[in-house]
Amino acid sequence: MDQEILKVENVTKKFPGVVALDRVSFSVRRGEVHALVGENGAGKSTLMKILAGALQPDEGLIYLKGKEVAIQNTQQARDLGISIIYQEFNLLPDLSVVQNIFLGREKFGRYPFLNYQRMAQEARDLLTQLGAEVSPYALVRELGVAQQQQVEIAKALSVNADVVIMDEPTASLGEHEVGKLFQIISSLKERGVTVIYISHRLEEIFKIADSVTVLKDGKCMGTYSVQELDEMKLVKLMVGRSFSETFPPRGKERGEVILEVKELSCPPLLKEINLKVHRGEIVGLFGLVGAGRTELAKTLFGVYPHYRGNIVINGKVLHLTSCRKAILHGISYVPEDRKEEGLCLDLSVRENSALPIIDKFKKTLFVDDQAMDSMIQRLVEALRIKTPSLRQRVKFLSGGNQQKVVLAKWLATEPRLIIFDEPTRGIDVGAKAEIYQIMRELASRGNGILMISSELPEVIGLSDRIYVMHQGKIVREFPSTEQLTEEEIMVYATGLSKV
Amino acid sequence: MKSTSIARAEWQNLVGKYGIAIVLVVLFVTAGIISPVFYRSANIFNVLQQASALGIVSIGQTLVILVGGIDLSIGSIMATSCVFAAALMRGQNHLVLPVAAFCLGIGVLAGLINGLIVTRRNAPPFIVTLGTALIFQGIRFVYTKGAPFGSIPSIVRFLGKGGIGFLPASVIIFLLLSGCFALVLRKTAYGRKIYAIGVNRRVSHLSGINVANVVLSTYVLSGLFAAFGGLVLAGYLGFGDNWAGKGYELDAIAAVVVGGTSLAGGKGGIGGTVVGVLIMTIVFNMVLLAGLPYQFQQIVKGLIIAVSVAFYSYLGKED
Repeated sequence: MDQEILKVENVTKKFPGVVALDRVSFSVRRGEVHALVGENGAGKSTLMKILAGALQPDEGLIYLKGKEVAIQNTQQARDLGISIIYQEFNLLPDLSVVQNIFLGREKFGRYPFLNYQRMAQEARDLLTQLGAEVSPYALVRELGVAQQQQVEIAKALSVNADVVIMDEPTASLGEHEVGKLFQIISSLKERGVTVIYISHRLEEIFKIADSVTVLKDGKCMGTYSVQELDEMKLVKLMVGRSFSETFPPRGKERGEVILEVKELSCPPLLKEINLKVHRGEIVGLFGLVGAGRTELAKTLFGVYPHYRGNIVINGKVLHLTSCRKAILHGISYVPEDRKEEGLCLDLSVRENSALPIIDKFKKTLFVDDQAMDSMIQRLVEALRIKTPSLRQRVKFLSGGNQQKVVLAKWLATEPRLIIFDEPTRGIDVGAKAEIYQIMRELASRGNGILMISSELPEVIGLSDRIYVMHQGKIVREFPSTEQLTEEEIMVYATGLSKV
Repeated sequence: MKSTSIARAEWQNLVGKYGIAIVLVVLFVTAGIISPVFYRSANIFNVLQQASALGIVSIGQTLVILVGGIDLSIGSIMATSCVFAAALMRGQNHLVLPVAAFCLGIGVLAGLINGLIVTRRNAPPFIVTLGTALIFQGIRFVYTKGAPFGSIPSIVRFLGKGGIGFLPASVIIFLLLSGCFALVLRKTAYGRKIYAIGVNRRVSHLSGINVANVVLSTYVLSGLFAAFGGLVLAGYLGFGDNWAGKGYELDAIAAVVVGGTSLAGGKGGIGGTVVGVLIMTIVFNMVLLAGLPYQFQQIVKGLIIAVSVAFYSYLGKED
């Protein structure tokens, strides 16, 4: 039991602008369930990808069963006995369970034909061992999420994996299915398979894990056995950082309600959401990945028109059926994914900024470029966007300046409510402070601001008020942020404490 | 580091924009070297005349491709328009206006069908327009029972065959339309939306642009231009030909792509397409003037398409 199966030593991985992993070291014993926890962006997925061979570390060593290994690609990881079950399954929906389990490793008979009987038999054995009631001939498409996951686990075992890494395996499972998964994990443990369990649902960790390694901002905060920890201690390890970002002073007074959401539900995730945003305030919306923050924001922006409940803007109940309508009513949405949803990277600063209001610049037939240029020039100056000219294509700008172009685009529509989704993702520290400054200024000019963020210091430092989401619901409102600690918020966001 | 990569990108941008015009000039000179007949005014007149029907339908194709679509039904729409023009005008000039309007209406309707299926059902335009092309063809054959009838009146003949000085009437129309739509793309809000949608449909949608309507409109315009191209071709041929626009859909796509418009959408424009159309037509003419059999046209045409696409992908590599 005490044998070390996997050891990671001083692994460092840098991406442009960020150190994703900073000299991370930890070791995993054979046959244990080892949890890997950390906030969004703590470095969990980078570490996992390195173990799976999908990324190569810049520095550091990995030992498997006492031997140093260099995992160059995913194939090699598999040969070494490391299997990964990603949050997004790697299954081909139109193939059968057997075909998926043996994909790329098909068994042959005497002639160059596939031996389906043998494969099906092996698949059936694996699935029975897992206690899964899945026919080997069923199409993956027809299976439920939990069953698909069981197929993934069977696939991992079919290569005789010693180490199975599971990334957020319960993220898309119901409560009953989670129980089933835990049974499977226990049975894996009995067979001597080591499980590395990545999750940010802390209650699960105390149910299933033997030991825990905590990552924070790319650094390893240590490995603990579960007995040494309690929930509060773990939360403290995950957050409690020293940060020195300067946030602008909080808002002084708030005006009337600009947005009121009443009993909003939007299948499959959002349930009975109530919230308010006033003029002049920045309202933070915190939640972990999968909590439904972005879904909520997009519903408020008219992307998902099939919601129930009421969205009231300036006292008027609106049925937001399209983004167009939301924009017309003064709602703006600064998306999380700047490159896919915020900007046309191949178009210029000018074209991007003018996109939502291009029709307003019509002069007889043509666009009045002069009027457009002078308006956008004003925005570029007000937001201090660093660009050689308005004609520069935005893909050549830095992340911070790109984000400002997104802002310029929305400010041009003269919005009243601005929804920011992870406003400082992928932006360097200096630009971050600038964005905070701008957001505060917009609020003090009478706009309502709803800010989604998974960075706790940002949520606490910038917001006047905070809502916390967990599994599609708002589980807590903090009316003031003055005395708030990261731990208090995290306790609600991880579902440890339910209202 | 960064500034050199920007400079490189701008340089590539320039080559991408004007490289093809240089190719046209080189071709123009080589054609004359291969055969001095090329420069004779009768031959130039001929080349331009052949370029114009292809050019007119290529304008519509450019719009569709710029929003990331494709229209394989234009050849079929052209022939249908041509056949109906001959059958309904019956050589009488006073019927030209109503029948021409009717033919253009067919084009608009065809484009509307294409566009509605593509946008409302989110269906792949390649297959949709391949299917509708067969439908329009079938309708034409049902109507003519395989043997087209009627004839083309002199006004339409002038449109296809006549000219003012050394310029064919059809090429004047082609150039006017090109100018108009170059302006539309460059200067109007509609044009800007077309590019934005081509570059990133999702961002455009989230910016409040009615993406479906703009995409639909490009198919309608493509249908309209195809029907008009069919009338020009009818004037050139002088009779209703069941196969009048055969192969034009692919030639138009080739001209658009050779002209530098990206099949992925969002990049390119009408200017490039005009150059692309001229290149394609000059190459056909060169093969004939060199005394080579018709089949060589295909070889040379294929070469030009393959080489130009390889060239543009090379330029686009920095992404």
